[in-house]
Amino acid sequence: MTLYILLFIIILAALIGTPLFAVILAVAMIGFYHSGVDLSVITIEIYRIADPPLLMALPLFTLSGYIMAESKTSKRLVRLTHVFFGWMPGGLAIVALVTCALFTAFTGASGVTIVAIGAFLYPALKQSQYDDKFSLGLVTTSGSLGLLFPPSLPLILYGIIAQQMNTGQGVTISNLFLAGILPGILMVVLLSCWSLWTSRNNNETKMPFSAKEAFAAIREAAWEIPLPLFVLIGVYGGLLTISEVAAVTTIYIIVIEVFIYKEIKLSRLPGVMRDSMIVCGGILLILGVSLTLTNYLIDAQVPMKLFKFIQEMVTNKITFLILLNIFLLMLGAILDIFSALVIMVPIILPVAVSYGIDPVHLGIIFLANMQIGYFTPPVGMNLFIASYRFNKPIAELYKASIPFMIVLLIALLIITYWPGLSMVFL
Amino acid sequence: MNNKHGNSYFKQVQTFLYRVENGIMVVLVLSMLVMAVLQIFLRNLFESGIVWGDILVRILVLWVGLAGAMVASRQGNHINIDILSRYLPKRAGNAVKSAVEFITATVCSVATFYTLRFVEIEFDEGGMAFAQVPIWICEAIIPIAFFVIALRYFILSIITFSKITKSSL
Repeated sequence: MTLYILLFIIILAALIGTPLFAVILAVAMIGFYHSGVDLSVITIEIYRIADPPLLMALPLFTLSGYIMAESKTSKRLVRLTHVFFGWMPGGLAIVALVTCALFTAFTGASGVTIVAIGAFLYPALKQSQYDDKFSLGLVTTSGSLGLLFPPSLPLILYGIIAQQMNTGQGVTISNLFLAGILPGILMVVLLSCWSLWTSRNNNETKMPFSAKEAFAAIREAAWEIPLPLFVLIGVYGGLLTISEVAAVTTIYIIVIEVFIYKEIKLSRLPGVMRDSMIVCGGILLILGVSLTLTNYLIDAQVPMKLFKFIQEMVTNKITFLILLNIFLLMLGAILDIFSALVIMVPIILPVAVSYGIDPVHLGIIFLANMQIGYFTPPVGMNLFIASYRFNKPIAELYKASIPFMIVLLIALLIITYWPGLSMVFL
Repeated sequence: MNNKHGNSYFKQVQTFLYRVENGIMVVLVLSMLVMAVLQIFLRNLFESGIVWGDILVRILVLWVGLAGAMVASRQGNHINIDILSRYLPKRAGNAVKSAVEFITATVCSVATFYTLRFVEIEFDEGGMAFAQVPIWICEAIIPIAFFVIALRYFILSIITFSKITKSSL
């Protein structure tokens, strides 16, 4: 009885804003105490952060993302995409979608895309006679587009967590990267079609393709264009592991932004490192305490009991997937993507595998849901960042992003119920 | 007057400690980066490498992460579910916040106690993690981090609490 009262208090504490790491740690400690295990074991569990060699990719890619966000990479990227897509009808909207997707893949969906790219695409869209509501919705939604493209951090984190578990040992990061490509492209394409349709009566001033401008834009971004190739060759060329690719990429980015483009002063570098490690430390601490909790839950056979419980009500895979989508969409609206991954994957993965869902496909479904959660009212993070950045009331952003959400929900349904789309390269 | 003086002295000490902490973190990040790249070069160019290099890098990830978590608790910037605070009036909001910070501090204090005990046991047993580095040193960051986080959340809780009493005046 006291156990349930304690758990109730902890859930209440979580809902009024207690840091998640403290909540999870408290649950784990109470659980261990209840089953008579000495609480010192939490040291061993947290020390397991030092186990997976892959985990180094997390702080390193966070750091390189922060450095790119501080420099003018976003501007060069927009110029570059503008040259190649600007002549098309609805060109600027497509430019916005493609740029945001590429930028988010490297920087992670921490809202930095809205601040770094949305900030100058929004005025540009309005200048090109796009509807205000449409433009706002577009930049808010695009803030989390690109989560499925390599080297997205949430994909890597999913892989790391899955590999820690028996059911997900075959989940390699390179397979996850491959699996995310087509679903990611599907999202960009569907959003582009929607943008073309809504702005079909728009007299946008098109920018004709100019070889001179193209050359200039390529030259300006010459040091950054090879980055996606680096990652792909590094990962699939078999020369380097993901964490080594992260190390090389980070050094490369520091060198070009600090010494070649000179957009970040050397004296600013420690500050950027600190800021990025605050974010990364928060995630790693939650990961550490979650490893503790997961171990307790597995000891207590919670995933198995959960599966039995669900199986009594849900007999087929399709119904399970529908319920999973609804659950993850709600989860994505209240939790950030990293905490959601760390807390829920250990519980959901064994259950999903029992329903015959491939762990790699599950990862893509999970992230696709979370991506929509970023701008789901009332508490999606992108809504608040956009509201703050563009100085608009939050209710206006709710309305502006709804059409985009519907488009992405369609993409989500396709991704969920057509596993082949994710698994085609595997 | 005296109080103000005391405050500025406190601020100076705080600034100094923050700098030390920042410095340590930057050194940790750079060592992790340099060590990782060095290993790649050694392996691919000379087909060699430092035997304990990979272990060191992985332990540095733990240290960097926990140091980052310590810095994040300076202003209470840890990830949470933030539904309520946007809708509460200021005083009630501060009351809830103070309680939340107190809970966090308590949980971390308990964790400090138990993790410290574990590290003491490891110290007595004297196992080695790699090279000549004992395992208890590698683990020491865990109780240190919980201690610092607990301390900071206690202080935050007191500061937030004093805001409630001030605003009632």
